[in-house]
Amino acid sequence: MSISVTKTQTSAAAFAEEFLEPIAADLDRTGNFPRPLIAELARQQLLVLPTEKNAGLAAHVETLQTLSQACPAVASILNNHALAAYAIFKWGSAPQKNAHSASLAQGEKLGALAIYENPAQDALIGVVAGGKITLNGSKKFVRNAGVADVYVGFATIGAAITGFIVNAKTPGISVGASHPTMGLRGCPVADVTFTNVSLDKASLLGTEQTSPAMLAELLAALALGEAAQTAGIGKAAAKHAAAAARHRIQFGHPIASLQAIQQLLAEIATDSHLAWLGVRHAAQLADDGAPFAVEAAMVQSFLGRFGQKILTDAIQVEGGMGICEAVPPHFQGTLPLARLFRDIAGTTLLDAPGDFPEAIVAASL
Amino acid sequence: MNLITQDQIEIQRSAKAFVAAQIIPKAAEYDKSGAFHDFLLEAAQPSKIFGMAIPKEFGGLDYAPLTQALVLEEWGYGCCGMATTLAASILSMESVLLAGNDAQKKQFFTPLLSGKIGAFCLTEPSAGSDVGAGKTTAVKTADGYTIHGSKCWITNGGIAQIFIIFAQTDPKAGVKGISAFIMERGTPGFTVGQEEDKLGLRSSNTVFLALNDVKIPASALLGKEGDGMKIAMQTLDLARPAIGALAVGLAQRALDECVAHMHERFPGKPFPGQALQFKLADMRIQIEAARQVLHHTMALREAGEKFSEESAMAKTYCTDVAVNVAATAMRLMGSAGYTSEVGKLMRDAKVMQIYEGTNQIQRLVVARAVLARPKIAAPPEKALAK
Repeated sequence: MSISVTKTQTSAAAFAEEFLEPIAADLDRTGNFPRPLIAELARQQLLVLPTEKNAGLAAHVETLQTLSQACPAVASILNNHALAAYAIFKWGSAPQKNAHSASLAQGEKLGALAIYENPAQDALIGVVAGGKITLNGSKKFVRNAGVADVYVGFATIGAAITGFIVNAKTPGISVGASHPTMGLRGCPVADVTFTNVSLDKASLLGTEQTSPAMLAELLAALALGEAAQTAGIGKAAAKHAAAAARHRIQFGHPIASLQAIQQLLAEIATDSHLAWLGVRHAAQLADDGAPFAVEAAMVQSFLGRFGQKILTDAIQVEGGMGICEAVPPHFQGTLPLARLFRDIAGTTLLDAPGDFPEAIVAASL
Repeated sequence: MNLITQDQIEIQRSAKAFVAAQIIPKAAEYDKSGAFHDFLLEAAQPSKIFGMAIPKEFGGLDYAPLTQALVLEEWGYGCCGMATTLAASILSMESVLLAGNDAQKKQFFTPLLSGKIGAFCLTEPSAGSDVGAGKTTAVKTADGYTIHGSKCWITNGGIAQIFIIFAQTDPKAGVKGISAFIMERGTPGFTVGQEEDKLGLRSSNTVFLALNDVKIPASALLGKEGDGMKIAMQTLDLARPAIGALAVGLAQRALDECVAHMHERFPGKPFPGQALQFKLADMRIQIEAARQVLHHTMALREAGEKFSEESAMAKTYCTDVAVNVAATAMRLMGSAGYTSEVGKLMRDAKVMQIYEGTNQIQRLVVARAVLARPKIAAPPEKALAK
């Protein structure tokens, strides 16, 4: 694994500076889906997708980490899109790849993963009859819902979880109102309901036998992407808080000269950096074709303990300025920490209550 | 055995009812807009709860410190943005209780008993944690003082009827040159600047104040010239546990929301997994420990004991617990939490680690107290001989 600055990192950083820095605060305020950015990401070949050689996850997490330093919401859109494309590329049939891969890679179509359900309510159930599958039920908290053209989802068909690919315009698919989210605004989150949605068998992704492993791998890759976002947010927060600490004079000196502040800054930088090393390692394993779910779970567990703390502490360094959503007239500079505090809460969530990454780690020991 | 009296149980019950009826239903709406919750002052007026810290002789409810903490916890459970308006008004009156004469007490408490609130104005752009670095001056004139300077992050500043203002009467003397004054709204030269757009406690009013040659009478001085720093520090000692009380309420709310979600998510099933159960248990353990640190501080204050160190511990521990518990509730609830009002609890809690003295300043207070204690005495020689 090379530790030099890669081409991906350089172009992602340039993209972040040119296209994301200027719009991040507005995107947070309006929450409007930034469609033109997706085309631009494609133009810059940043809609990272797997190549024939490897899974492409190392490049993918690097892009996410870099973009998240400027705008974690756009990274969320990208993570969900790219992993839907990853699933089709990795497990799709030749006709499925022909139908979707190129348009997803070029940003002509946007992808989404429809994974979570509330088992207590209306889980997505498929019934097979006459060579067709009829889907009824709903998928919850789908990111890119409503703006996606293609959903990669999972349903209980017969007695088994099975993957499927469905065009968003298929009759019977309806998208609920977007949920108001604490952060990551601009990446829409909504429930997708299936009412008598009829699929051909050719729309199934994988089989009854392969789907559980496919789902586990997708969840691991999603978690890894979110961890990369968290590491990127942490890096940006450390940089901003350190600059503020050098600028802010109290007790006759910049507060950066106080050990209590140095301690906070050092912990923020350390936790972000170690998380990022873990992300890169797991992504490289994936690209090498090795199992990576345990390493991804370890990173997720680490960030479960330290992820939110990164922003809690970064804001603490900046004090009153850290909790401001808009710059007060008597101060100068930018104040992204309040936004990043809300964003990082969204990149360190558990996928579903009771699903602890520690279970995956413990089972491996 | 009841650890609180029957009277306190009644007061707690009526605070809970008020919070359920008036605060909880409106909290989300005001959090979203960030507009000041002006309905609250009128709604709370029949109970005179804004006068709960005012002595009986001045017409207040005269609640004991622990009783006040019980009320504030209930308000914090409902909405810490709204509860901050109450806590900050009490903060301002503590200075008058400490250092005011009877005329000043009457002047300050009268508006607070009629639906008005107070504000405590200490922080300045150059003076946050470093209180002594303030640049606002009070120059003595023939019949009083002329105050010039500015104040920032002032809770209730845009709404309050009456203010405690700290200013340098002797700028060369540093912290010993600070004095405290009472100022009424509408005094010429006093203007309210921009209201801050905050991460949390959004509907609590936080503003910049400009003081351009504000003339106040000599009778506005609290205590003596140069007493300001002492008054400020003692006021904050008295007031910090109030923030702890709000934080305990907030943390309890986060746990309750999380548990309610888990019951909804796993209906009629044996509760899933020790991992989840232990997280919930840890939240409960932290909340109860925080509550007891707070109540202990209030008991010391009621007994007339020193409580400065405990006050700092209570503020720090309760607000740190609130941040941890709210963040844990959010993470466990996943996307359901991220799209719910649990986000407000996290955002509100974060602000509380900063205002009324950052938790770093509280740790300095505690560390000083720890290091000032006598060293452990050597055991008697007889014991050693055995």
